[in-house]
Amino acid sequence: MHSPVRKCLQRTIVLLLATALLTAGIAPGVPQAVEAMPPMAGSNGLVCTTNPSNTFTLTAKAGTVSLPDGNIVPMWSYAAGGMHGFQYPGPVLCVDQGATVTVVLHNTLPADVSIVFPGQEGVLADGTPAQPVFDGLGNLISLVKPAAANGGSVTYSFVASEPGTYLYYSGTDPVRQVRMGLAGALIVRPAMGANFAYNSADTEFNPDTEFMLFLSEIDPYLNNAMAQGLPFDMETYRPRYWLINGRGLPDTLAPNHAYWLPNQPYGALIRIHPYDPTTNPLPVLVRYLSVGTDDFPFHPHGNHFRIIARDGRLLQGPLGEDMSYEKFTDVVGPGQTLDTLFTWHDANQWDPVTNPVPDPIPAVPDMVFGMWWSGSPYLGEMGPMPPGMMTLNQCGEYYIIAHSHALYQLDAWDVPMAGMGTFIRVDPPEPNMCP
Amino acid sequence: MANNDSLKKTLTRRDFLKLGGGLAIAVAGAGLLSKAGTLLRPAGVESSPRSFPLDAPDQVPADVHLLGTDGWVYLPPTPAIPPYHPDAWAPAPFTTYVFGLRDVTNLTPEQIAGQKGKVSIPADMIWADEGQDFRIKLTNPGFVVRPDLVDAHTVHWHGFRNQIPYFDGSPMDSFGVPAGRSFTYFYRLRDPGTYMYHCHVEDVEHVHMGMTGAVFVRPAQNAGNPGLGIPPGKYAYNDGVPPGDHRSTAYDREFVMVLTEIWAMMHWNNSHIQATDWSDYEPDFFLLNGRVYPYTLAPNGGGVDPITGDLLPPPGYPELQYQPVSSLIQANAGDRVLLRIINLGFKLQTMTLPGLNLHVVGKDATLLRGRDGSDLSYHTNTISLGPGESVDAIFTAPNVGSQTTYLFYNRNYNHLSNAGGAGYGGQMTEVRIFPAGTLPPQTRPNT
Repeated sequence: MHSPVRKCLQRTIVLLLATALLTAGIAPGVPQAVEAMPPMAGSNGLVCTTNPSNTFTLTAKAGTVSLPDGNIVPMWSYAAGGMHGFQYPGPVLCVDQGATVTVVLHNTLPADVSIVFPGQEGVLADGTPAQPVFDGLGNLISLVKPAAANGGSVTYSFVASEPGTYLYYSGTDPVRQVRMGLAGALIVRPAMGANFAYNSADTEFNPDTEFMLFLSEIDPYLNNAMAQGLPFDMETYRPRYWLINGRGLPDTLAPNHAYWLPNQPYGALIRIHPYDPTTNPLPVLVRYLSVGTDDFPFHPHGNHFRIIARDGRLLQGPLGEDMSYEKFTDVVGPGQTLDTLFTWHDANQWDPVTNPVPDPIPAVPDMVFGMWWSGSPYLGEMGPMPPGMMTLNQCGEYYIIAHSHALYQLDAWDVPMAGMGTFIRVDPPEPNMCP
Repeated sequence: MANNDSLKKTLTRRDFLKLGGGLAIAVAGAGLLSKAGTLLRPAGVESSPRSFPLDAPDQVPADVHLLGTDGWVYLPPTPAIPPYHPDAWAPAPFTTYVFGLRDVTNLTPEQIAGQKGKVSIPADMIWADEGQDFRIKLTNPGFVVRPDLVDAHTVHWHGFRNQIPYFDGSPMDSFGVPAGRSFTYFYRLRDPGTYMYHCHVEDVEHVHMGMTGAVFVRPAQNAGNPGLGIPPGKYAYNDGVPPGDHRSTAYDREFVMVLTEIWAMMHWNNSHIQATDWSDYEPDFFLLNGRVYPYTLAPNGGGVDPITGDLLPPPGYPELQYQPVSSLIQANAGDRVLLRIINLGFKLQTMTLPGLNLHVVGKDATLLRGRDGSDLSYHTNTISLGPGESVDAIFTAPNVGSQTTYLFYNRNYNHLSNAGGAGYGGQMTEVRIFPAGTLPPQTRPNT
């Protein structure tokens, strides 16, 4: 769908145009947008960590995340391999259905750490069935065999028998450790092919538009206590940050592997094109995961997402009946995953010449512009900006917000609009002038 | 309650505010009257037709005209939550500062100008027909109690499919309507069902402060479909089956239940110009259609004063002047009753109706059917719904010989009292079933 060469050419043209306009000292609105252009192309969507033998080495590490209010919070998480730096959430492990998956966990943290794989059956820990671990007095000390503190290792393995979206997270003191960040996603691709979510023809999606929304929360008091080896009373637990893919709004919009978020590699911008029966007939796939405490009522504006699967199981009756359903608020429970499909239609095909919006467009001073507003109702058009206004809009694309509707979760502590929110970015149909 | 010293201080501060507000109004008024406001515009920017309050008429009149402003409402003052509840600045008989969206559709410009500072919570319920082109005009006259707060407002029709940012009312990706200005949102209604609407500017604040309401779209099937054996009538969705079918969404009476919450400290903070840390969110009151039990049972508001355009209180309840929507559910034996339940609070709520069988036929403005038509509706007496969700549930009133009462209430008992006080409160109402033929046919929802 995206031709890199054409993209590159388009960007050059836009930049040349922008430079020309700026030099000529005219039209302040549009060129500013182009200057603000981040390196977006190919930088959105699910980032899979794969391995030809389906053997993954994870290292439990300490690190930090930076939050939109400027706070830096200590975290624990799983890093890919032995050499990679800290990252939150842990790497997205992608395997094919039927693969024998091996996860080798090395632990550099000062506490025992383990991994549980909810949704997987027959998990082995160091070659024996994964079982809860008790101390000599019969007290439960871990849900599964851990890697010992300060240098221990353990190897888990299982056959990924069912396709779907799964979590993996620490089974040792999970009440604190999962909140510290020891969690990640596991995606099992169905035998039917990587462009299907499940082994059902109606789960086919556009492989260019596959996204993850990994929902989580942070109580910074817990994290600071854990990082300093201090006790923390869970009665006082109160999340102050709510994140998608480890980031708060507007960092959620930054590209994957943004250099200014070195420990939070996964963006959450859902970048798509309008439905088109010939050029873009297949839906978008969004994989929700939650490691939060309460249900997250996630509300994508302007779109009903069709929930096709829950916790890695297709919503299908015993006779093949379709039991999927559409929602404008997708409620993701603690430890739950949802797979959803959606398609954005340019339903009214508004066009400045042939089909203008019905009522007069207000004059610029009669509106309070948002930072992502193009200045025009029309897809692919940009309109005048107030003097001095910088828009982050690039080419008249639409931004459609998607956020938790427990609206206090849209804040970062007391900073508004800095929590669990992202955008669905709808680019104009190609060819377009978008970078 | 505040001691005398602090009261003095706050009053002084309020006087200062009042003065500021007067000035702001005077300045705004001068601009509107003289139209000199255009002088402040950059040259070359075209001005658009005005509509508040002295502008040129709209090209196409809006179906609904909403005013985004502030006001005062009533919650039971005991137990008090000093100093937050009741708010000492609230004019009697009110207790609580709110923002809201007030329906001024049929008022004159002079009456509209007089409605600044007089909201209703929830905002008036709105309904329209599938296939209709529908316009909601929003006017922002500013706030009375907080003239310093020059917030924009929007109307976000929550759940509207394929909406473009221009009409979506999300101010980051489009724009807000500043004080003294209006904007008309346009909707081409294709998908029947139960939705909600709210202001999306600083949405955690404006939604919690009360700028919330229900909106629903009636299906084309209401005109009947002889080919499928469906007579004209009232249906929740285009279910495609005759009324006797178990999948039918036919109903005789409908009641909207908007669930919201009030965190007394936050509302007090807003009237007293204090910031709120939203991560401390802990509401004290749980509202059904803007009221708490037992006020949920009080009748609907008394309409609009023909001279001033002010809301008239329900007979006998002057304190409910700005909370006009009754939650009392009444039906005759055998009636099919549709509950359109909407959660615009920030907490999961679990509403239960023991003794009656609820058939959940729709969620989030969507008929519960799979893509192959599989029936996903279900029967229950307890409905959980998260913030931003809607549920359509139908029950059939049982055959009774005399008036019979059921209770519809929040099964989360922490949400079933007013500010933690004794007795019953919060999200609770009654379902009263009468012998067949007692009540006349319903002409409006929630009557």
